[in-house]
Amino acid sequence: MSESYKAKERVVYVGDSRVRKGNMPNVPADYTSYPGKSEAFIPNFLLKEWMVGCVVLVGFLVLTMAHPAPLGYPADPTNGAFIPMPDWYFLFIYQLLKYPYLSENYVVLGTIGIPGIAFGALLLAPFLDTGKERRFYRRPIASSLMILSLIACVYLTKVSWDHYTHELEKTNTIPEHIEREEKAREAAMAGKERPNYTKQPELPAVVDAGDPATSIIQAQCLSCHGTEYEGRGNIPPLRGVGDKYSKEEIAEIVTNGRGGMPAFGEGKGGNVELSAEEIDQVATWLAKQKAAAE
Amino acid sequence: MFKTVYNWIDERLDITPMWRDVADHEVPEHVNPAHHFSAFVYCFGGLTFFITVIQILSGMFLTMYYVPDIINAYASVDYLQHKVAFGGIVRGMHHWGASLVIVMMFLHTLRVFFTGSYKAPREMNWVVGMLIFFIMLGLGFTGYLLPWDNKAYYATKVGIQIAESVPYLGPYIQELLQGGEVVGAQTLTRFFAIHVFFLPGALLAMLGAHFLMIRRQGISGPL
Amino acid sequence: MSKHEQREQTHNTVKRKEMSRRQFLSYTLGGATAFMAGGAVLPMIRFAVDPILTKKSEGTYVKVVEESKITTEPQEFKFQIHQVDGWYESDPQLSAWISKDESGEIFALSPVCKHLGCTISWNTQNNNQYFCPCHEARYTKDGKNLAVAPNPLDEYEVEVRDGFVYLGPVKGNTRVE
Repeated sequence: MSESYKAKERVVYVGDSRVRKGNMPNVPADYTSYPGKSEAFIPNFLLKEWMVGCVVLVGFLVLTMAHPAPLGYPADPTNGAFIPMPDWYFLFIYQLLKYPYLSENYVVLGTIGIPGIAFGALLLAPFLDTGKERRFYRRPIASSLMILSLIACVYLTKVSWDHYTHELEKTNTIPEHIEREEKAREAAMAGKERPNYTKQPELPAVVDAGDPATSIIQAQCLSCHGTEYEGRGNIPPLRGVGDKYSKEEIAEIVTNGRGGMPAFGEGKGGNVELSAEEIDQVATWLAKQKAAAE
Repeated sequence: MFKTVYNWIDERLDITPMWRDVADHEVPEHVNPAHHFSAFVYCFGGLTFFITVIQILSGMFLTMYYVPDIINAYASVDYLQHKVAFGGIVRGMHHWGASLVIVMMFLHTLRVFFTGSYKAPREMNWVVGMLIFFIMLGLGFTGYLLPWDNKAYYATKVGIQIAESVPYLGPYIQELLQGGEVVGAQTLTRFFAIHVFFLPGALLAMLGAHFLMIRRQGISGPL
Repeated sequence: MSKHEQREQTHNTVKRKEMSRRQFLSYTLGGATAFMAGGAVLPMIRFAVDPILTKKSEGTYVKVVEESKITTEPQEFKFQIHQVDGWYESDPQLSAWISKDESGEIFALSPVCKHLGCTISWNTQNNNQYFCPCHEARYTKDGKNLAVAPNPLDEYEVEVRDGFVYLGPVKGNTRVE
């Protein structure tokens, strides 16, 4: 028997176990066999990668210092004025669900159908695109599908964001986290303590509750300002409003609207129009809403 | 001193080959940005990992102050952001890091896709990578409920509504996510547990598999 | 190993003091690692150790009881303090054992046993001593540790104003040598 035959017969084990050493066909080629200059992972290559890492880190830290993480007002399930927006990376699905055939009776198609197909295809890409070719320009189907979905995602995100900013403009709303920061800055400038939204301030009692003006207020104002005149989320309470504004200022706000509040004056384009007399009544009553002097 | 300790351990456990395998393996020229500037696209995977490490660390530190409770959650976030030194920075790192991880991972995925690196024999690694992607999205979704502000509340409500539209299983998934009949106290603790223990655990396992496979199979060759 | 390094090794038969290329790269890599780790972790560490670096709030004095009610026999008095604990504000109740010594000076002892932190009380064994039910630690009226406990009982800062006893923060016992 020749030596080479014996060598073929000899069984090789892994370590001291009885596990046979496999003969994997897919062990990658040694990189020295690739053309060009390969180099050791540590320290040569990692250093280059971490140079990039340092730049990213500095940029990241600058971002965190320049833009504090947003925080709105405490969650309030009764707040109807809040425009909810998910984080930017969910916007494309958020927008997708607004289209017909993907909402209402077909909502399943929008929530599971299309995202399911898209993400499922992505997950199983290696089993769908089984050719040997790796260059993207030689794989027109896979590449074009990917590029199309990318364009779709960017488009949906952009449309969704534009709609949101438009919505903010229309209702004249400042996003909560920005408004909260503004107020904190104002308070700091005025040397006061930062407003604390976790402690509900004691509201002054309602003054002169039986006044006839309250029937107008109950009909027009309380759906937003709270049935107990206590305010709701962003919307200020009516109790104690007399401390903040004079009667004239209140009349002006009711007539012309302000911020998210609609105009109630005649010919101001609001859904409800109150006569000047009614507004005067309302403003008179509201101006009386002051904290009781101690 | 360090050498003696190292040698003592090495004699017993033979640890040198373990890290030498990682340290000395050769990296080919085509992924090296020092040789071809365009090779910077190969950095996104490493950067994703770097930001993930920052996320894990900053998250660990944030839980020193945060409480998952609907009465105190907002107050504790408010406190840690404004009253604790560097609180704004640490929370900012966690908040912006979440976005950055998604960006980096997205770019990494695109790189792998367009260089065709997911093809045989690396199919499994692609699938694991996509699972990491889904876990990251899950972390993002469960994470923004935690401060318990209006955005957290309403975005979660919408998210749970979406889950509810799944045929047949929807209502069960909804209740499982909510933990109760409304989005409230039990939802918050549930999301906290998922965000802090379950998903990161799965993430670490998947990352381990991802790296092991890369080391086993090597980086895909030049195009 | 790359060709470059091989060449370097053959050239390096004469030992030179200069740094090798590999060493230089390793140090730079170490520096980059330290920068990245520091940049990311230092803010977090400062964040975590903040409690020991913030100024402790000045202890405030709380009105507890009329001066006239204090006798030479220690009595327990409860009082409330306003406590701000991070985001949580509360008014927990504390208690103190207040008595007069022979010279008529009022002092107040903390009821926390110095052994393992149980709550002591006066004269439960009818021997005119403070007694801790957990491990039978005993203290004199001045708070001097007689058995089990390693240290005397802590004292509250005491202030007497307008006929009322005010208690302040806890301090070490000053009555026992």
